[in-house]
Amino acid sequence: MLIFYAMTTSKYAVIIMSVLIIVRCIRSMLSERYEAEIWSYVYRGDEAIPVYHWENLIGRSLSADIRIDNRSMSRVHAVLVRSDKGEWRIFDIFSKGGVWVNGMKVGPLGTRIHSGDSINLAGNFLRFLDINRYHRSLLEAQRTQAGLAVEPSITLVYLTVFELFLMVEHMCTAESEFVKPICLAFLGLICLEWLCYHLMRFINRSGFEVETLAFYLTALGMSVAATSTPEDMFKQLLLTIVGVALFLLNGWWFRSLKRTSSLRVPMGILAILLLGVNVLTSEAVFGARNWLEFGGYSFQPSEFVKVFYIFAGASTLDRLYRTNELFSFIGFSAICVVAMALIGDFGTALIFFVSFLVISFMRSGSIATVLLAVSGAGLASVLAVTIKPYIAQRFAIWGHVWEDIYDKGYQQTRAMSAAASGGLFGKGAGQGWLKDIFAANTDMVFALVSEDLGMIVGMCMVLAVLALAFFAVRSAQHARSAYYAIAACTAMSMLLVQLSLNVFGSLDILPFTGVTFPFVSRGGSSLLSCWMLMAFVKSADNRKNASFAVKTAEYAGIYEDELDEFDEEDIE
Amino acid sequence: MKKIRNRSVSLLLIAFLVICGMIVYVLRYVDDGRDWALYFSRSNSGSTGQLLDRNGVMLAYFSGFENRFADDATTRKANYHVTGDYWNRTGNGFLAEYWDEAMGFDIITGTTQEKHSQMRLNIDSTLNNIMYKHLSVLEIPLEEGESLTELPFEPHTVHQWRVAVDAEGNVIAESEKDVLIANSWDRPRFCNSAMMVCNYRTGELLGMISLPTVDPADSETPPAEGAYINRCLSASFTPGSVFKLVTAAATIENTEQLSDKRYYCEDEYYIAGVPIVCMHSHYNQTFEKAMANSCNVAFAQMAVKLGQDTMVKYVRQYGFLDKQSLDGIPTVAGSYPTEFVGDPELGWSGIGQSTDLVCPYAMLRFVCAIANDGVLLEPKMIDDGKAPRAERFMEAGTAKKLREMMSYNVSYSYGGEDTFPGLNMCAKTGTAEIGDGDTHAWFVGFLDDEEHPYAFVTMVERGGGGLYVAGNTTSRILQEYIANSEGADE
Repeated sequence: MLIFYAMTTSKYAVIIMSVLIIVRCIRSMLSERYEAEIWSYVYRGDEAIPVYHWENLIGRSLSADIRIDNRSMSRVHAVLVRSDKGEWRIFDIFSKGGVWVNGMKVGPLGTRIHSGDSINLAGNFLRFLDINRYHRSLLEAQRTQAGLAVEPSITLVYLTVFELFLMVEHMCTAESEFVKPICLAFLGLICLEWLCYHLMRFINRSGFEVETLAFYLTALGMSVAATSTPEDMFKQLLLTIVGVALFLLNGWWFRSLKRTSSLRVPMGILAILLLGVNVLTSEAVFGARNWLEFGGYSFQPSEFVKVFYIFAGASTLDRLYRTNELFSFIGFSAICVVAMALIGDFGTALIFFVSFLVISFMRSGSIATVLLAVSGAGLASVLAVTIKPYIAQRFAIWGHVWEDIYDKGYQQTRAMSAAASGGLFGKGAGQGWLKDIFAANTDMVFALVSEDLGMIVGMCMVLAVLALAFFAVRSAQHARSAYYAIAACTAMSMLLVQLSLNVFGSLDILPFTGVTFPFVSRGGSSLLSCWMLMAFVKSADNRKNASFAVKTAEYAGIYEDELDEFDEEDIE
Repeated sequence: MKKIRNRSVSLLLIAFLVICGMIVYVLRYVDDGRDWALYFSRSNSGSTGQLLDRNGVMLAYFSGFENRFADDATTRKANYHVTGDYWNRTGNGFLAEYWDEAMGFDIITGTTQEKHSQMRLNIDSTLNNIMYKHLSVLEIPLEEGESLTELPFEPHTVHQWRVAVDAEGNVIAESEKDVLIANSWDRPRFCNSAMMVCNYRTGELLGMISLPTVDPADSETPPAEGAYINRCLSASFTPGSVFKLVTAAATIENTEQLSDKRYYCEDEYYIAGVPIVCMHSHYNQTFEKAMANSCNVAFAQMAVKLGQDTMVKYVRQYGFLDKQSLDGIPTVAGSYPTEFVGDPELGWSGIGQSTDLVCPYAMLRFVCAIANDGVLLEPKMIDDGKAPRAERFMEAGTAKKLREMMSYNVSYSYGGEDTFPGLNMCAKTGTAEIGDGDTHAWFVGFLDDEEHPYAFVTMVERGGGGLYVAGNTTSRILQEYIANSEGADE
């Protein structure tokens, strides 16, 4: 009887907490004030134009950051760039009229400019004024600190309560030998998130929504593990710890734009190498050959290639205009997609393809390029289907799964049945039957969660990822560098496509491709790569003192990384 | 950067598609979630359901692990068209739907709530069993070439009349004569049948049977052809003379000085050169006698006099042209010539031939309304405690006149107490010609008895004569049912 009450209370508490967590995170991320940073001013006559980014396009075009509407200007004329160290440079991007700084013509490698310098853009004169430390701290003080409207620690308390109730549910239903490991894993997860939170507070960062949502999804993943593979709880916790560590490491790396963008080529090469090894050596496991054995551990290289792909694919604004790298990027993407197809992992190939579309659209802004790519891919898939008819078979069942419930529609029909039988509130963690079906904890995880915890939690799971995507778009509006904006948006588009293929594939709204749900599906490589992708989202979060992956102005107006330099200057 | 900012909106497009996908899922869940959930999750639910008749006899029981029907094979077969089956082969969807409901699926809780539900029906399985006993006799197939068999009742005599007329055709003498109703039955084949009994004062549907039927617990024997069709609800038949009640109702409401009206019949009557044929010459007859004689000539004349528009108006008003619904189970619509057909065809349509088709359920509603002073209590099969929908179906005066005429039919033509001992019967027979020499036997009416206010429709497909086959069988069924229920009361 006690167990029954504990179970019922926990069941509804988990749902209420889920909704509260999602609502609080969405409110915090999407409705908190989010003012732009101002990095310097450009004076045109008496008019002061604030410079909002580290990379700014000057030109006649409507979408130029500094717009000078004069026929002598080119549409895209010059790029004004700030470095990590606060040094400003101006580049002439093949303008008709040319650029001069203090009367000196700017060459293709750009010219360093200082406060007070005069810039001549084809006869249009601008004066550049950097802001001093005093001014910067004034501006910074005017901005809204993240986490003031919706206190992140309270959300985290809700998350902890959520996890505790989830743990209680599992304690009621798990076999006695697994109760201890399940409890320890949940408690470990709770410790980890509070540790992470205090670390952020310690370094004076108050934006914790991205982490909260990632931890929320990870906790659901922990619940899926407790339901389907309770013998692996410690492994799951260990993986989570490694994932969070990689997240912190990645985020720390992103603090310096120079450091980050310097990894582009190495990461690209690493991606191709990893995929090459995968294509050549791996053996088929359950259809797709996307597993690689390494020192007793098997992992999925394609999951890590996702991260490398973004590293290599994102670009700073000046590079976009100064060099024509789009074609080498298309080549690189094609290699990735073809490698995935060779491996037989069509779901991941599709994820890469959509990410490629997002990156290439963000880089070029050209719908024609996107259409070209889509039609090319369409042609390629027609070709693939003609050569390998078994691919077509997989798609033929799409929309007709109930006609073949014992073979091709086996997993989907069971997923739909289980998901529907849970109703809105679910049967209680570990109470469903879907867990015994093959791949329930990976490819059909949405159904597994819907059956056990109810459709509301299932929806919260999807909403969490959607909220992160909206937040990435919002952050991209204020990102310092195009690199961060592109990277954050691409990371989220990957996760969204992955989510769509997972959820809608198992529910027969899309063809069933067998990819994982971000954070929730079982699978170490997937969990690690999702945490790493979160670092990209953090790197674009420019709210005041929000993200550890973004350097912040101290009260003296000095950026954290400039501190050493500042001391030296002071002594001089 | 503004360019990049604008382009980041492309991510919103993907997010939008994800939201659309979720909406599609939710809509599909609302629509089909029940089917999905019950397909595989049923055996994981601890819910149970029971379908009981009005006396608490179990007609169907189901849980996650088993489906059971009544223990006794006759009860299973006699009630098959009431319960249907889990596979919804009868198409009435009744049990299948209740089963889904009882298994505890709803959109909010899925199948997580364990339910133990019971549904009580107005149906009396005893009555269905009695109907099965008497009607299934007609089902027995005969050997090749064999064509004569005995009907399951004792031969008896009924009064009939011989009429003498003078040179002008006026009736000058009417003499009674006893005529033997033999029990020999000239039917070369197996007869399908349908019968319903309804309490016209409360709207409770007490019995419904359609033969041939199926034993839902017997998966070995292949069912007879057409056994899954419920002939009471899902089929319509040529009504023949029972349709004269409709023509009579229209005539009552549209004729002045009806009591002074006389209808003359001499075997044949020509409308625009086309003959309408009668069994006998009835000569000059009143409206009531025309009905008791079931005189084709008289009713063909009435239909032509009323005109097609008026006939169609009444047929429509009485619901014969529409699909009806018995507790949500749809019935088929009947038919009647609604496009212009000309007087001869109109005459035939007034006596239930032509292209007329009537669903037995529509006929049941009609006789229920006549019996209940023109107010129809829509028949209900499920006992959900709610009062049946009541509507003014026909004028009270019309209903009263029809009741008197139907009572007169019985005493004048059908043998009265001899044929229906102990039953205060009011009825109309029908022997509907279906064009190949065979006839459907109909017997519709009600008991004018406040203790047993039963209205009924009996139809034996290709069964022969309305009175001989359908009438006598109905009589035996109701006698046994009343004796049975009175025995049970004591």
